[in-house]
Amino acid sequence: MGTLTSSLLMAAQSLLAEQGALNVTSNNISNVNTPGYSREVPVFSEQTPVHEGNLLFGQGVALQSIDSIRDRLLELRILDEQQQNSNAQTQLGYLNQVQALFSNTSQGIGSDITAFFNSLNQLSTNPTSVPLRQAVLTAANNLANDFHNTVDQLSSIQSNLNQSVVESVNGINGLTAQIAQLNTQVGQMKSLGKDAGALEDQRNQLINQLSQLTDVHVINTEQGVTLTTGNGTALVVGGQAFALQTTPNSSGNQEVIAQGKDITSTLTGGHLGGAILVRDQTIPDVMSQLDNLAGGLASNFNAAHHQGFDLNGNTGGDFFAPSAPGAGAAKNFAVLITDPAAIAASSDGSPGSNGNIANLLAVQNQNLPSGKTPADAYAGLISDVGNTTAQMQAESAASTLSLQQLQDQRQAISGVSVDEEATNLIRYQHAFDAAARVITTVDIMTQTVIAMGSPTG
Amino acid sequence: MRVNPNPTNDVIAALELTQQQEQIALQEISTGKRVNQPSDDPAAAALYAGNVAAESRIDQYLQSVGSLQALNQTADSALSSVVAALNQAISLGTQAANGDMNPDNLQQILQSVQGVLNQVVQLANTSFQGSYIFAGTATTTQPFSVNNGGVTYNGNSGVNNAAIADGRTIQVNLSGNQIFQNSGGDVFGTLQQLVTGLQNGDKTAIATATTALGTALQQLSVQRSFYGSNLNQLTGDQNELNQQKLNLQTQDNKLVGIDLSVAATDLSQAQLAHQAALAASARVLQPSLLDYLK
Repeated sequence: MGTLTSSLLMAAQSLLAEQGALNVTSNNISNVNTPGYSREVPVFSEQTPVHEGNLLFGQGVALQSIDSIRDRLLELRILDEQQQNSNAQTQLGYLNQVQALFSNTSQGIGSDITAFFNSLNQLSTNPTSVPLRQAVLTAANNLANDFHNTVDQLSSIQSNLNQSVVESVNGINGLTAQIAQLNTQVGQMKSLGKDAGALEDQRNQLINQLSQLTDVHVINTEQGVTLTTGNGTALVVGGQAFALQTTPNSSGNQEVIAQGKDITSTLTGGHLGGAILVRDQTIPDVMSQLDNLAGGLASNFNAAHHQGFDLNGNTGGDFFAPSAPGAGAAKNFAVLITDPAAIAASSDGSPGSNGNIANLLAVQNQNLPSGKTPADAYAGLISDVGNTTAQMQAESAASTLSLQQLQDQRQAISGVSVDEEATNLIRYQHAFDAAARVITTVDIMTQTVIAMGSPTG
Repeated sequence: MRVNPNPTNDVIAALELTQQQEQIALQEISTGKRVNQPSDDPAAAALYAGNVAAESRIDQYLQSVGSLQALNQTADSALSSVVAALNQAISLGTQAANGDMNPDNLQQILQSVQGVLNQVVQLANTSFQGSYIFAGTATTTQPFSVNNGGVTYNGNSGVNNAAIADGRTIQVNLSGNQIFQNSGGDVFGTLQQLVTGLQNGDKTAIATATTALGTALQQLSVQRSFYGSNLNQLTGDQNELNQQKLNLQTQDNKLVGIDLSVAATDLSQAQLAHQAALAASARVLQPSLLDYLK
């Protein structure tokens, strides 16, 4: 009914609604820089109008709800890209460490091999010279040292990776526990019919962090979100989180265990997946190429060395260990000769002969079991490491770009615009002012009505 | 359409990108190389590693050639002294065979010829860096010794070869018996004959020995030419190695080197891009509606 009282009530509702809207704006502005925050909008709605004869009176406004603006599919897409990006970045970081071992062409295994054969060439000009023989042993020991250094550094990268696996798993466990807890809270809010926007934002932010660590599949269910790893191992179901464990295996690498089952090889995404891939594939691959090189070189060289005679006329013994290629050859690569006189340079037993040096030098151009000469095998290793790193660089750059675009999209939908909020602020202020003016007017009118019956009027 | 209201992350990413490009351009100029780590160009990095090894081998060949030149020069100059000594012996022999020599004169010539013999033995025992160079491959044994008026060879007939380029070797030495006791002219044998002739005062024998010594000298000169031609070959090899090294270095430059003018242009472009990005960022980040609401 179009009465003064109803106008007053409507104006009062309007004041409340605009204050509520102002509150939302204020909250949006406060969270303009909060990561993962989705902007909220107040939803105003008309109150049900009242029929009065053939007139229809509006009953004012109600602040029906406060909605978070988000695109759930886009958020899932971001999670997916996030884990790929973090995977690529992690791999790239460690690959850069690996390729640094092969970056310097004037140092390291490649140049040591050349220097070793060069020292033999020099010895061929004066086979009885003890200093030149000593130089051969020094060059051989340099080669052995660099094999050891390279293997040691690769191992130390691997042990850093193990540390990182343990830290990632701890991080995952911390996050899943928090997510499970938020699942319960969001469920309670929803059952009371409330918008759990702020809690969902928090949960999304945690899932986002989780997806940086590993590949997460998100399924929205009645009980909140269910999180699994890429191959379906449950991480969070409703209010329950399933913690992962790590245990070292026989070779000292940390394996990831979920409910008693080893899931290491199935983890492919995120920081954890990247670390496991570099640890279990990239580095072992480089190691095995080094082993082939070291073992092949040692056995070929030993075979040539056996054909000759040393300074004392004795048949040449084993020059390098190990005597056959195999795992650990680079790690165990060693020079077995310490006496310069024991280098078998002679082909006829006379000390001044250099006939066997030609055989020793020929090892340079002899194929290793891998079908490549030592220099080619090393160059191949450089090219392999370089290619893997370059590929990962490209992948990481592409994924960063695409992640950035997705985040731009998300921001376009969910991000807080200060301009927009400032406009809203003025809008709500004006509406508030107007409603207040209605109250003042109704007040004056009421005064008039009251004065109407006054004897002194 | 609503766009991302907070472009700060994009701005930061854009600045990082231009800064990275600037750093890459700077690194290329400061190292002079386009490939500073294998991932910059894996194929070129692998080829470059091969080239570096080849260059290092060439450096070694050059060093070996240097050592071999010294060895051959030592041998050549020793043999040149032998030639001079033998010429002296021949003229002494000719003198003794032709002139009206009294026994005193013959005695003097005998002493001179014996001096020549000793000198030649010493020259035949020349060593280089502790190794006897005319001992075949038995370089730790003194090759020639004088006993019972004869000269014995204690070395062997082994020869050494050394690699002086990829796939090319050179014979390094001749054995002492081939040089000094060759069947085509035995230096020590004929000198000994001359000594015996002089001791006996037998002019016919002296004349025969002197002629034979001439043949031996010719034979020795033939053998000496081995070292001369070796030295020529080594010098030629040295030039070729230097040329090869130059070729490899040129190739290196094509593989991993930079064109300085291109790199400098790249750097200034990167700098310009970075400055432009900075200027744009400064503008993007400044204004909001609040600046105009007073």
